[in-house]
Amino acid sequence: MNYNSIVLGIIFIPVIGSLVLPVIGRASSRLRNILSFIFIFSSFLLSLKLVPLVLSGRTILILKPFALGLNFTLYADSLAVFMACVSSLISAIIVTYSFGYISHYENQNEYYSMVTLFLGAMMGIVFSANLILLYIFWEITAITSWRLIGFFRDKPYVLKADKAFLVTVFGALVMLTGFLMIYQQAGSFDLAVIQGKFRIGGISNLAVLLILVGIFSKSATLPFHTWLPDAGVAPSPVTALLHAAVLVKIGVYVFARIFIVNITPDILWNTIVPLIAGLSAIISAGAALRETDLKRLIAFSTISQIGFIFFGLAIGNEFAVLGSLLYILMHGIAKAGLFLCAGIIEQNTKTKDITKLGGLIQTMPFTAIAFLFCSFSVMGIPPFGGFFSKYMVFSGALATGKLWIVLIFLIGAFMTIIYLFRVFNLVFLGQQNISAKETSPIMVASVTLLGILSLAGGILISYPYQFAQIAASQMLKGL
Amino acid sequence: MCLALILIPFFSIIILNLPPREVNKRIAFGLVLILTLGQMFLVFFPGCNFWKMNSGVFGSMLKIDLLVDNLTLIMLFCIGLIVLVTLFTSRQFIGPIEKQRNFINLLLVVLIGMNGTVLARDIFSLYVFLEITAVASFILISFDKELLGLEGAFKYLLLSAIATILMLSSIALLLILTGSTGFSEVQAVLKTLNPNNPLLILAVGLFLAALFIKSGLIPFHGWLPDAYSSAPASVSVLLAGIVTKVAGVYALIRIMVSVLGFSPASQAVLLLIGAVSIVLGALLSLTQSDFKRMLAYSSISQVGYIILGLGSGTALGIVGAVFHIFNHCVFKSLLFINSAAIEKQTGIRDMDKLSGLAQKMPVTGLSSLLASLSAAGIPPLAGFWSKLIIIIALWSAGYYTYAVIGILAGILTLAYFLSLQRRVFFGKLTREFINVKEASFSLVFPMVLLSVIIIGVGVFTPVLLDKFILGLGNILGG
Repeated sequence: MNYNSIVLGIIFIPVIGSLVLPVIGRASSRLRNILSFIFIFSSFLLSLKLVPLVLSGRTILILKPFALGLNFTLYADSLAVFMACVSSLISAIIVTYSFGYISHYENQNEYYSMVTLFLGAMMGIVFSANLILLYIFWEITAITSWRLIGFFRDKPYVLKADKAFLVTVFGALVMLTGFLMIYQQAGSFDLAVIQGKFRIGGISNLAVLLILVGIFSKSATLPFHTWLPDAGVAPSPVTALLHAAVLVKIGVYVFARIFIVNITPDILWNTIVPLIAGLSAIISAGAALRETDLKRLIAFSTISQIGFIFFGLAIGNEFAVLGSLLYILMHGIAKAGLFLCAGIIEQNTKTKDITKLGGLIQTMPFTAIAFLFCSFSVMGIPPFGGFFSKYMVFSGALATGKLWIVLIFLIGAFMTIIYLFRVFNLVFLGQQNISAKETSPIMVASVTLLGILSLAGGILISYPYQFAQIAASQMLKGL
Repeated sequence: MCLALILIPFFSIIILNLPPREVNKRIAFGLVLILTLGQMFLVFFPGCNFWKMNSGVFGSMLKIDLLVDNLTLIMLFCIGLIVLVTLFTSRQFIGPIEKQRNFINLLLVVLIGMNGTVLARDIFSLYVFLEITAVASFILISFDKELLGLEGAFKYLLLSAIATILMLSSIALLLILTGSTGFSEVQAVLKTLNPNNPLLILAVGLFLAALFIKSGLIPFHGWLPDAYSSAPASVSVLLAGIVTKVAGVYALIRIMVSVLGFSPASQAVLLLIGAVSIVLGALLSLTQSDFKRMLAYSSISQVGYIILGLGSGTALGIVGAVFHIFNHCVFKSLLFINSAAIEKQTGIRDMDKLSGLAQKMPVTGLSSLLASLSAAGIPPLAGFWSKLIIIIALWSAGYYTYAVIGILAGILTLAYFLSLQRRVFFGKLTREFINVKEASFSLVFPMVLLSVIIIGVGVFTPVLLDKFILGLGNILGG
């Protein structure tokens, strides 16, 4: 199997598979579920197969030119493969969890089809090296997340799904305008050509701003963040997918791909982006402190943590970028874990209001421990994975000497610790108000796995560290 | 040879009405089926003898000059496709056998009118065929002889009459100025004239105004929502899908490109009217609760994009405009078929009273979703590409403001289509509709056919660009 077909397989196995699933689902729901998992997991395995190649510093380029610069260009470097591994691994765990969670709802065919397509489109974004191709996959993820958020079909839910769709598409259209500006200057949508032109700078600030609007709206960063807490009406595996594995990470990834690897924006943005990210981190952490709906709370936490990732990327030295890449991994695992725990709690207690819950550690020990481990990782407590990523982002930032921004994020980090302990305290400790048991073994197994991974990610940090380090140094060299 | 596209339908009408008049319905149906399929098939062989200019004995007798270029071919394809689709939907809606024959007769008249319009090579023939199409459309809109239908037809008739007067005056002026009505002759003389000649400006203004009325662009759109929404379901498909596109939009492109030529003033008018139609049409759609009225306002908005592409005055802009006509034909007629299916199965057209029907009518639900997203320009569906080409054309021609309006209006388009989806398909199924069934084959088949086109063209546009689509730019002379 040559490397080109591996890259195509990573993208098109889930994309084409997603079209088959509804048909199969009519015959056998069991087969459909398994196939959905296989499609996603094969993306993961194929991505893993690319790891040795990119670690040795080689890259893969697939280029099929078409008129008007609408080329079909795929490019696999260490950043892309790293992202592909992270997203597909987390998605595979989330799909496993869905087997339990979704089993008693309607529209399952659509659910599995959309989840698989979602991951496929994500892989498309990751490997796209043409702005229009990237935009196409970007919008496919918008369509799928719209269908998934509106999964339960109640009117208020569908309204919130529409909101998410409209906000992200608005951002995407603004971003498209930015792409057109680049196209006019560089004469191509291909990132390689754009890199040749703008790697040394010289891009107009307006184009950067327009693209950032798109990125921030997808990553739910202030001021385009309101759709993400609202998207909590979706089934829990979907919110986990949106928050941890796929959707919000798209913005982060595209930021890294465009503004670190291919285009060097004006020095001005090295201050503006961290500032926006810092405000986003603090304000949403504050919202998380006051929120009583479990899923909305975790959603605010995501907005806050995404701020840290942008922070590291925007600082732009090797240590901070490396920290951000690890952050994508660790936050993905931990946040998926938190949402899936929330899903177990919600399904068994029938409430999302944390003030009505309590003492669940007695009857739901595995969920409680998994929740705790994932929380530790998000807080950044050693030896959990999140500690290393947070540490590296901060030390990278300190090296640049912008002390005041570091301070903003330190406050954000403290707030993270406070609100997560508050949740844990209210939900798992104290008097048990609503008694509930852990009913679905496959769901509990999934969250336990994520909890363990959060811990293992820290203890075995050297493996992802090596990978991310190579990726970071290649990114900064513009390979 | 291609005169056959007008003559065969003409003789078909005569044969179908020869006594004994009880001709089997199947024969009439099969006849139109063959005609449209043949027309679509021939388009794929632009080099064959059929399209050669020599129109033979009949041509010289009728004094009609015909023109075949890429724009004509793609329009002939659209006409064939939409007439075919209309034919299928009509099986559900047109009642007794007597009425069916009348319907097919009228359909053939519209076919003659539209084929003639796109084949015509002089202004006066163009005008005559436009009138043939329009008169047949009036009758079709009021086909059920219901009050609303008659009202819609009457409005269309009145405004069309005004358009006719304007157009005839303009033709007369052009005849005075140039001494001819042939496209190329008029164009050749116009190039030598002083562009500030008041008669010329008047002639251009009158012609544009007439075609703006025919296209239903804002502020000339008064007739369009009534005509679309009051017509019988299958007539709406025909009207929205192709008739106004040929009678208004195609004629506009043809007149601008092959006769009048672009001037800064006419471009400014086109761009302005296009942008206003896009934005206001979309805003008006947002406020509608009647399924068909919403689609009618959406048509105004989408035609705005076509005019915007034309207004850029570049080859690429015209490519985008024509490509968008094609896409619009496909997704808008699909949406009207969806509305027909919903109306047939539930008897309701008020979207606020519907809910969650995608569950009971999966084909209708999915195809309407594809059509909506294509219309909203969401990739990877076909509508995305034509809008992208229009926007790139505007951008590279330096019309940044209009390009940005075109891009951001996409969000309005998406908003009203999401509202449609939410109200009709994507919601909880209420008890009322628990027994609703999917529509019958004659509606499902066109839905599937058009959906396949939307996806197929969407996914393969980059491949098609070099082979077919960019070739459309040739019509801009050299």
